[in-house]
Amino acid sequence: MLIAAAAAICLGAIASSRGERINSIWLVLAAACSYLIAYRFYGSFIAAKVMALSETRATPAERLENGHDYVPTNKWIVFGHHFAAIAGPGPLVGPVLAAQFGYLPGTLWIIAGAVIGGAVQDFVILFASMRRDGKSLGQMAREEIGRVGGFVALVTVLLIMIILLAVVALVVVNALAGSPWGTFTIAATMPVAILMGLYLRYWRPGKVLECSAVGFALVLGSVFGGQWVAGSSYAPWFTVSAMTVAVAIIVYGFLASALPVWLLLAPRDYLSTFVKLGVIAMLAIGILAVRPTLEMPAISRFADGNGPVFAGKIFPFCFITIACGAISGFHSLISSGTTPKMIARETHALPVGYGSMLLESFVAIMAMIASCALQPGIYFAVNSPAGLVGKTAQAAVTTISNWGFPVTADQMQALAKSVGEVTLFSRTGGAPSLALGMAHIFSRGGGGDAVLGFWYHFAIMFEALFILTIIDAGTRVGRFMLQDLLGHFSKPLGRTSWMPGVIGSSAVIVAAWGFFLVQGVRDPLGGINSLWPLFGIANQLLALIALAVATTVILKMHGPRYLWITCVPMVWLVVVTFTAAWQKIFSPLPRIGFLAQADVLQKGPITPQVQTLIFNNQLDAFVCGAFMVLVAIVLADSLRLWYGILRGTADRRVRETPFVMSQLREEF
Amino acid sequence: MKLLRLLWSVLREIGDQNAYDRHLSAHGTAHSAAEWRKFSDERFHAKYQRAKCC
Repeated sequence: MLIAAAAAICLGAIASSRGERINSIWLVLAAACSYLIAYRFYGSFIAAKVMALSETRATPAERLENGHDYVPTNKWIVFGHHFAAIAGPGPLVGPVLAAQFGYLPGTLWIIAGAVIGGAVQDFVILFASMRRDGKSLGQMAREEIGRVGGFVALVTVLLIMIILLAVVALVVVNALAGSPWGTFTIAATMPVAILMGLYLRYWRPGKVLECSAVGFALVLGSVFGGQWVAGSSYAPWFTVSAMTVAVAIIVYGFLASALPVWLLLAPRDYLSTFVKLGVIAMLAIGILAVRPTLEMPAISRFADGNGPVFAGKIFPFCFITIACGAISGFHSLISSGTTPKMIARETHALPVGYGSMLLESFVAIMAMIASCALQPGIYFAVNSPAGLVGKTAQAAVTTISNWGFPVTADQMQALAKSVGEVTLFSRTGGAPSLALGMAHIFSRGGGGDAVLGFWYHFAIMFEALFILTIIDAGTRVGRFMLQDLLGHFSKPLGRTSWMPGVIGSSAVIVAAWGFFLVQGVRDPLGGINSLWPLFGIANQLLALIALAVATTVILKMHGPRYLWITCVPMVWLVVVTFTAAWQKIFSPLPRIGFLAQADVLQKGPITPQVQTLIFNNQLDAFVCGAFMVLVAIVLADSLRLWYGILRGTADRRVRETPFVMSQLREEF
Repeated sequence: MKLLRLLWSVLREIGDQNAYDRHLSAHGTAHSAAEWRKFSDERFHAKYQRAKCC
């Protein structure tokens, strides 16, 4: 491995000193080889030495088989199911935003973070849950660390959910504002989803794949329909401001949370999952076929922390911007959810837990390639907020060209026209630039510029489709969690069938993420600058909780011998997330620190709008601080326990279910 | 061919069609609109109490 690493560095040094342009296949090969080596050696090492996975030990799927949750399932089917569950917008959007540092920092973090951190976290949590009858992360935190850990984990997940919903909604808002084609396409997916719901419920019950195929054809039709609308007299109806799109999404989130699941959420969830897997496969084939050259430098000038997409240096901000794709706390909820109840043999946990995360990491690499294959000038013109580069096209291209990334107003105008948009300036959030990158790759595979617009809007539709599914599913889940908490104080509020409770708690959750969404829309710096880091910090802090549980499990099983496996990524995350959170609160630079930004605003003329911005910054600082305090409590509780275990004063019994010999005879 | 069959099984699992087949065999019942509605109501209730990943 050392020789391979040295060879790669030498080859890279020769290539860059000769000024060679780097082909994306370099990244594909580097990532694929790293994953194969990591899976074969590191993953297998953890499976054999730390977990001692056994072919003969009955899994919960076998022992508790009930035909519903607990079902022994073929390992590749579980793999596909698990991958579909963990792959969301995060591994696509995060790398696009982090591409402002150049392709190298993000790529290295995606590969190393997944191999050493993300895949290990997913794998160990899956293993721990599998040995505990499929218990959730919260239950394991409560039992392994203590009641405080369990409660804090629940509250943290709820808070993270609110920030997550706001930030992904903002991505959709920025993609649809001022775009009649995109807005029509996404609006048309609502009746399509309802039609699918009725189809599945009454006309062809149980035919999910057939129904999804019909839904896909209709959604494709809506992409074509959007093109027609954009060129027709109806275009002004669908040309709406960012605030209008935000309000529409907020209203939609509330309604979708209260509507029957079968009518809208479930059919669209099926469709978006299939489309997501299909597009990921298409992107992989497209990159291999087209082999685009990376236009972005390896490390850009914005490594200094003055990036227009978001402010802050590579350390720590690259590592919180790319969460899913390297390490994501949210995965631990999936690894301790459905998946452990489907695994037929313990040894399948390696491909499912470790392998799926490596594949997710590869998706992030593809997103990085798609964004870095764009001309850097175009990338920055799309991703830089108007508040920073100027409100006119001429001002924006002058600013961006002065950064050393030449771009012209004519070039941007021609590009916008070719994808059927009025403008592509300041379309922040990552989705439009990812869609542009994907459209370039797909159109070069056949059709050229003539199909650029179709692929751009197809990509926007694909991103918006599963983001909206996350919004309505997340609002519903948030409502359940809130009702679970409120049920401790008032029994009726805890009942998920009591309509006043349902409506009230849905309204609270929607109001919470809606508040942050509106705040993001009003932010003169584009919203992503403040909300995405907040989400990244929150997600990585959840990963910290998962790694604390994983470390406790390993410590109880083996003592300190294998602690480094989870401690190394955990310590890294402590350093990264606490540094990032500290900087976001206390940095004296107004573009980074929330409090510094509030101070600057306070020194200027105070209008009601400025007053709101000041409050928003102070609230963001408070939320960031609350995350830090909550996770610090879990860490302190864990450290107390670990110290006790090492001293021999704390209970170090492993709370696994006892060994039962597997009776499975079938091949899985 | 084997790969295609596996791919089809993965799609059926994601689409809950395998789960529905298991439901029918566990309850010893035949497919009907009412049975699908009963299955999907239970399935969706459990499925959408869990967070979707980002």
